[in-house]
Amino acid sequence: MSDNLTLRIDLDSEVPSYRQIVDGLRVLLVNGKLAPGSELPSVRRIAMDLGVHFNTVAEAYRTLAVEGWLDLRHGRGATVVQRDPPAATGEQLEQFRGRLRTLTAETLAKGVPAAKVRAVLRAAVEEL
Amino acid sequence: MKANVLMLVWPVILVAGILYFMPLLTRPGIFFSATVAPDFPRSSDGRRLLRSWRLQLLVWSVAAMVATVLLAPGHPLLGGLVPMFVLLAAVGCAYWRNFRAVHAGYGVSRGEVRRTSLSPEQHRESVRVALMLPPFLALGLTAWYLHLRWSEIPERFPVHWGIDGQPNGWATRDLHGVFAPLLMGALLNVLLLVLVWVIARLSRNTVMRYVTVRSLEVLLYPLTLTFVIIGLLPLMRPANAATIVLLTMVPMLLTIVGVLYWSYKRISVPAPEADASPEPQRDGYWKAGMFYYNPSDPAILVAKRVGIGYTFNFANKMSWLVLAGILLIALLPVLVLRAK
Repeated sequence: MSDNLTLRIDLDSEVPSYRQIVDGLRVLLVNGKLAPGSELPSVRRIAMDLGVHFNTVAEAYRTLAVEGWLDLRHGRGATVVQRDPPAATGEQLEQFRGRLRTLTAETLAKGVPAAKVRAVLRAAVEEL
Repeated sequence: MKANVLMLVWPVILVAGILYFMPLLTRPGIFFSATVAPDFPRSSDGRRLLRSWRLQLLVWSVAAMVATVLLAPGHPLLGGLVPMFVLLAAVGCAYWRNFRAVHAGYGVSRGEVRRTSLSPEQHRESVRVALMLPPFLALGLTAWYLHLRWSEIPERFPVHWGIDGQPNGWATRDLHGVFAPLLMGALLNVLLLVLVWVIARLSRNTVMRYVTVRSLEVLLYPLTLTFVIIGLLPLMRPANAATIVLLTMVPMLLTIVGVLYWSYKRISVPAPEADASPEPQRDGYWKAGMFYYNPSDPAILVAKRVGIGYTFNFANKMSWLVLAGILLIALLPVLVLRAK
């Protein structure tokens, strides 16, 4: 595991802390920075550092375990496991398209140039 | 003025001196525990608030000293405790008023972005056990040395001196009289170790944690030296003993000053990214500017906003348990002495 892996959350954000933790960890799992075999810090430690309730972190870990990313063992934190990506369904692709359209429209409405949006999207795909 | 009255006035002067500088012993962007723009303390309003605080401190300090002088001759215990308590309470209230004034009039919001490292090894502050063992060894060797020279210890030897340098407290050659100071030193060392352990394990990964743990590790040494020398009193000639005991204060004071200076230099550097897991930013978590109360924060220990070290999250029940445990260890030496 890289030494400088950091998880960030913004408590002033409209996005719940639980969702931010899941999203932040998933990015690191998808791009391989959290490789199979890596040990994640305990729920207690993450909760203390982020200043959120233990249950918030535990729930985030459980969500990622259900998705097949983590192996949870009582009292031992979480271990990243090898995950075979499930076959994507058409419904999932449609859902993604919908969310992306909404986000893109929102970003363009705020005045971000289309070329910039395209470049950011491309960079995001390449990074992951 | 009698010597014992002077002895009771000194702590008031010392505390007043520390409080005088207290608002400046803080991180950049914090003033009277409120979050402000980094240059606010140097502004005219900032200087005015500091002046008003110091004026109130001066008035209450003088009042406390006068009360000590008036009360101490008839009631030494009352004269030593009540003025100090009144001084701290009054100055605490003044601090609270300034905290509210700064927060309401000049406070800024920094947002509440939190972060944590996902590398398990970066979470724990390393406690260097090898560095912490020699003080215990020194106390043990001193006890062994006293045991070897037991027959040379006089039946009665001085352990306390008045301000005039004349002995006014004596101990006898028995297990309690000879070994109690070493036991007290060992207990205080244990207390420091517990503090180091608690801070290293139960606080966030900040510069303050590093500074506090390292400082406590260093303080273990002059503290042990003091108790080793006090422990050797039974073998010292009475004429030299008082001077030697006084001299033991020198390394302790020098270490405290050095540690404070080093700590202040480390925490006063404006480096927003310096803390791997920064402390919560909202002023609302700080009651009266001094007491951290945040029910949604599972942390037990939080870096103080003013001064060096940690305070408890008083919204966490575990904090009260840890506090009670530390107080119990701190009181053990007193109980041991009273058992005499």
